Amino acid sequence: MVELTTEGLAALSKAIAIVGTGIASAWAEKVIGAAAVGAMVENESLFGKALVLTVLPETIVIFGLVVAILI
Amino acid sequence: MSYPKRMSKVLIAGHKKHLEAAVDALYEADLLHVEDFVEGDDSDFEIGMPIKYGEEVSRKLVKVRSIASTLSVRSTDETVPLTESDVSKQLDATLEEMDTEIGRNAEELSRLDARVKDIESAEKELVPFLGYDIGLEYYGGYGNLAVFSGTVSSLNESRLLEITDAYQLFTDSGSKFFVLFVSKRFEKDIQSVLADMGYKEMRAPDKSGRPSDIYAGLEAEKSEIQAQIESLIAKRAALNEKYGNFILASDEYLSILSEKAELPLRIATSEHTFVIEGWVPTNNFDEFTEAVSNKTNNGVHITTLKVDMHDEKEIAKIPVAYENSKFVSPMEAVVDLYSRPKYNEIDPSSVLAISFPLIYGMILGDIGYALVLMTLAFLVMKFMKSDAVKQLMYVLIYCQIFALFFGIIYGEFMGFPLAGLLSHGEYIPGLIPGLETIVFDFGIVPGESFMLPIHRTHMIMTFLVATAAFGFLHLNAGFILGFFDLKGQHGIKHAVLEKLSWIVLEIGAIAAIAAWYLGIGVAGIAVGAIIAVIGVGMLAKGEGIKGPIEIPGLLGNMLSYTRIIAVGLSSIYIASTVNDIAFGGLIWTPADGFSVLMFVSILIFILGHSLNTVLSIIAPGLHALRLQYVEFFGKFYASGGKAYKPFGHLKKYILEE
Repeated sequence: MVELTTEGLAALSKAIAIVGTGIASAWAEKVIGAAAVGAMVENESLFGKALVLTVLPETIVIFGLVVAILI
Repeated sequence: MSYPKRMSKVLIAGHKKHLEAAVDALYEADLLHVEDFVEGDDSDFEIGMPIKYGEEVSRKLVKVRSIASTLSVRSTDETVPLTESDVSKQLDATLEEMDTEIGRNAEELSRLDARVKDIESAEKELVPFLGYDIGLEYYGGYGNLAVFSGTVSSLNESRLLEITDAYQLFTDSGSKFFVLFVSKRFEKDIQSVLADMGYKEMRAPDKSGRPSDIYAGLEAEKSEIQAQIESLIAKRAALNEKYGNFILASDEYLSILSEKAELPLRIATSEHTFVIEGWVPTNNFDEFTEAVSNKTNNGVHITTLKVDMHDEKEIAKIPVAYENSKFVSPMEAVVDLYSRPKYNEIDPSSVLAISFPLIYGMILGDIGYALVLMTLAFLVMKFMKSDAVKQLMYVLIYCQIFALFFGIIYGEFMGFPLAGLLSHGEYIPGLIPGLETIVFDFGIVPGESFMLPIHRTHMIMTFLVATAAFGFLHLNAGFILGFFDLKGQHGIKHAVLEKLSWIVLEIGAIAAIAAWYLGIGVAGIAVGAIIAVIGVGMLAKGEGIKGPIEIPGLLGNMLSYTRIIAVGLSSIYIASTVNDIAFGGLIWTPADGFSVLMFVSILIFILGHSLNTVLSIIAPGLHALRLQYVEFFGKFYASGGKAYKPFGHLKKYILEE
């Protein structure tokens, strides 16, 4: 049986924070990105708004990173 | 802080006989943004008819453009602008001349192309017969002989022998092609036997002579035609040279005429009069009136109309032109990428000219990358002519100035620290021998001391706090801009309730936290809390339920600024990983002395850092942009203005006379 240490658990928690938020951001950006590209095909001037919408979920993984550093 | 260019609404009215002169004058002035006339039910006015020369102009324009596409005319360095009178005088004759010359050239070319295709298909038919030295005339026309020529999947001669042995068979070991001469009596039987073997007939071409001679003749003709095609293509290039200049100029000349001819479709006309509504920059109004009056011999009446600045619908119609200094104007492209400001709100370009490069610099902060990218930007500017690219390069240069500044503060060069640092008993050498990091005995986060130059990798917690604090300041700058915006648009009451309320709320929250932290007691906390509640109340009154709901978002916005350190660290780690692989002892270290491996190390160093240089534009650029667009703009910027597009044309290929 492997012994659970505080450091080990902390490292695991950090990993979970990063992995979870990373997947969440990626999934959200995938959905938005596909829609944004579709919209831009119709109207190229939407690039600015599309970019903003696409990078919005990026914040989730930044929060994950902050949490991981704080653990 | 600046507002978009002030505009005046103008109305130009006159008798229809002056319309053509008025259109010319307006086009020449290149100042009026025409507001399209919408036909109403109760109006006595209706949309005008195109000026009569329009139809002919469009016809010629189609011709010029078709010639231009045939010749694939492009603007080059040698393109010289022509005068308008030259173009108009020569247009008809030259158009005719070009049409015949180029038409003849194109006709001849397509005829020769078709002939080459014919020859190639004739050659293809001939190829199987090349193996036999039999004149083509001998493949048919016999009274008693049947001829079979073609392929079978496998030729079984014994089956032929079952029918007769009076035949002559030619086979080619290389291909499955065969020729069989047999008496006509056995034709039907042989045919059915061959059909069983999968016979595919290939008839001899209807010519006479030896196949190889005919083939050689075709080849000779083909090469002769190809030479002719080449000379025609060369002639086409010469035509391009001869007429290219004129085609570009006449295309422009005709486009201008056609645009002018179509203006009446956008204005109001009655039986005898016309009325044009539009917008002119207020500063240019006098100049505009004078120019148009002079050109039309005072035949039109120009007047300004009053604009109701409280009517949002009316304001939305006003076209927006930027009015910024030369330093700020490159940022207009960045603002346009989001959306143009409304007419009555602050143009954020000037604020962006500082805050965007500042955040970019804080993220990248590396002397090496800043210098490389700055050099690249200057080179691109020198060799690219496009204005849009130049503007973008200016933005990149602003960004690199800040990156260089922060690079010096962080003491980083291509991921190497410039100054040595003793950290947790381990010494990290710096790139400059003898330069040591000064470590102070204070810091804002326990366990992390302040140091100079700042090693970002050793002050992560400090940076998390500092970047969030920076975000707090940046967001409040947004609230303050929003305050001035609303004050101008809807008065001081709205501005205080919707924007200042946030600052009141923040002051309250900070006071309460400070009181708790410093241990001042319940009274202190209560005072802070009361101020905060007042702020929330103001917000709720100003923005309704939507306001208080957004409060937690403010915290999220602040934390979002921690990406400044997060993205920065990722760039440092990529750079230092490249350095470790290249010079860290995996392949080669400077201690090894000169060897072949040194070049491998240098190659890895160059490739790795090239990759990171590209990433250094994309990652900090996008993240800095996002902080502006989402967090900062969200606090004040409404946007959605219509671009100012004056009726007129920048002449490129036509000289002003």
